[in-house]
Amino acid sequence: MSTIKEYLTNDHRKCDDLFAEMESKASSSLQSAKESCQKFINETERHFQMEERVMFLEFETKTGMTQGPTAMMRQEHLQMRALMGQLLESIENSDTDKFFGLSETLMILMQQHNMKEEQMLYSMAQQHLSAESDRVVSMMESLIVE
Amino acid sequence: MNFTGLSTDQAPPISAPLRFFLTAPIFGIVAGVLLFFSDVDLLVSRYSVETIVITHIMTIGFFSFVMFGALTQMLPVLAGAKIAKIKFIARHSHELLVLGLVMMILGLYQSSQIYEIVAFVSLGSGFLMMIISILIAIKNVENITATVKGMAVSISFAFIVVLMGLFLLFSYIKGETTQLHYAIANIHSVMAIFGFAGILIIGVAFQVLPMFYVAPKFKSFCKKYVILLISAGLFIWLGLNLFYEEYSLFGKLWIALFYWAFATTVWIKFNRRKRPVSDITVWYWRAASIFLTLGSFLWIFDEFFKHEYIVMVAILIGGGFILSILVGMLYKIVPFLVWFHLNAMGYMSIPTINEMINKKIAKVQFSFLMLSIVGFVFSFYMPYLLEISAVSFVVSMALLEYNILAPVLIYLKTKKTKPDFDMSAFNIQEK
Repeated sequence: MSTIKEYLTNDHRKCDDLFAEMESKASSSLQSAKESCQKFINETERHFQMEERVMFLEFETKTGMTQGPTAMMRQEHLQMRALMGQLLESIENSDTDKFFGLSETLMILMQQHNMKEEQMLYSMAQQHLSAESDRVVSMMESLIVE
Repeated sequence: MNFTGLSTDQAPPISAPLRFFLTAPIFGIVAGVLLFFSDVDLLVSRYSVETIVITHIMTIGFFSFVMFGALTQMLPVLAGAKIAKIKFIARHSHELLVLGLVMMILGLYQSSQIYEIVAFVSLGSGFLMMIISILIAIKNVENITATVKGMAVSISFAFIVVLMGLFLLFSYIKGETTQLHYAIANIHSVMAIFGFAGILIIGVAFQVLPMFYVAPKFKSFCKKYVILLISAGLFIWLGLNLFYEEYSLFGKLWIALFYWAFATTVWIKFNRRKRPVSDITVWYWRAASIFLTLGSFLWIFDEFFKHEYIVMVAILIGGGFILSILVGMLYKIVPFLVWFHLNAMGYMSIPTINEMINKKIAKVQFSFLMLSIVGFVFSFYMPYLLEISAVSFVVSMALLEYNILAPVLIYLKTKKTKPDFDMSAFNIQEK
């Protein structure tokens, strides 16, 4: 079974691919990107929840750090959720310029966020939760998105 | 483990990178104006005062400024490393570097010892303040990735380059340029381009290309060994250059080969990227690959022609490769910083990154810059092209300044007018 770090890092790449697919569709026609946009949002939301409802909680319980890095990451999730909402809205309004402006902003924000997680938080989580790694990964895998 | 980079509150203040970014195109304009009034015969020699001054306006005033500015922002994000007292360090090293560079220009042009002494002290303290702070920050990084390694190696080269630069400036103060001066000058320039700037760009590319453009990852062999191999190449070249000059071509071949391979890899990665968007930054990466390839080959070719083409090599690699990458990066990083900092303050309805920069002006800026670089290369044979190329360069730098100033003005205006916090973005989620 993959480690927490591998599992979540691979999931980032999966979300990146869905993002690229969405932009690819949008470059031919914005309306055709609606489905892939929803797919990207669903998958990213699932990723956020795997972190917020499983990994972050385990990490916070283990380390006692509730106001540390996980709080900052939750805050950035909120920023990305807001942008994703606006992204769907721009498709509804057939506003191509807005869509690509938002997608570019989201992309940079998302990658900056991913780098911080992959470089720091995941390594730290792996270190603190190494004994529970398999359990945490299987809990994330079986998560039902709320 | 250091988490400072994870916090928007503790992220470097926006002024730290911006002061460096906003000054860079101004020095670009100065370099262009000086080129316009320069005699092409003097520019053909790499050791003429004109060439040295104009080169350093670009290498210190543009390249180092943008790289330092970017590092203040990237270190926390890419490495979780925080530069201690960043606001103080960025502000004062920036002031010292600006003062030092202006004094160096005046000192060398007017052969004024006083100006050169002020330049020596200001540039030395400005550079060392920034370089040592960055090295200390990197020293505490626990999770050493290929990108962090690239940054550390690049800044270590910067340290050596600065010490050699100070030695060179000191010989102007003393008024004696010996054979050693020219040997050091050559090493100084090669290490600045291929050690400091080149390795930093490669190190950052490892991370940035796969993430921002959803391009295929770099092979782990590349990430593990390329920086090491280029550094080894630079030291092998250094040894050969100093002691067995007739064999220094082998050192050059070693370095040029890896840079050419990097240029080709970048080109291929962009072809295979999953993200179809082709914005101005992609154009800049593409242009950089082409110029780097041409420059690497010409650098080798030049060895067989008594270094007649070395200035052309500098234009292709300095202007075509490094400058292109840095300008492209400014187009991504400046609007993002503005968006990120405003968003972190709670302003939600701020323009998106694409709305902050006028894409048409960015394309025009790109065209002027490319025309000027090609023009500079050809003015080697057709001197009448120098003036028009210099004008084109000045226009491109002025447009660049306008383009990166526009998002900063949005930032200042938003902060000043303090619009009500708009939570509409969140309401969409709740629908």
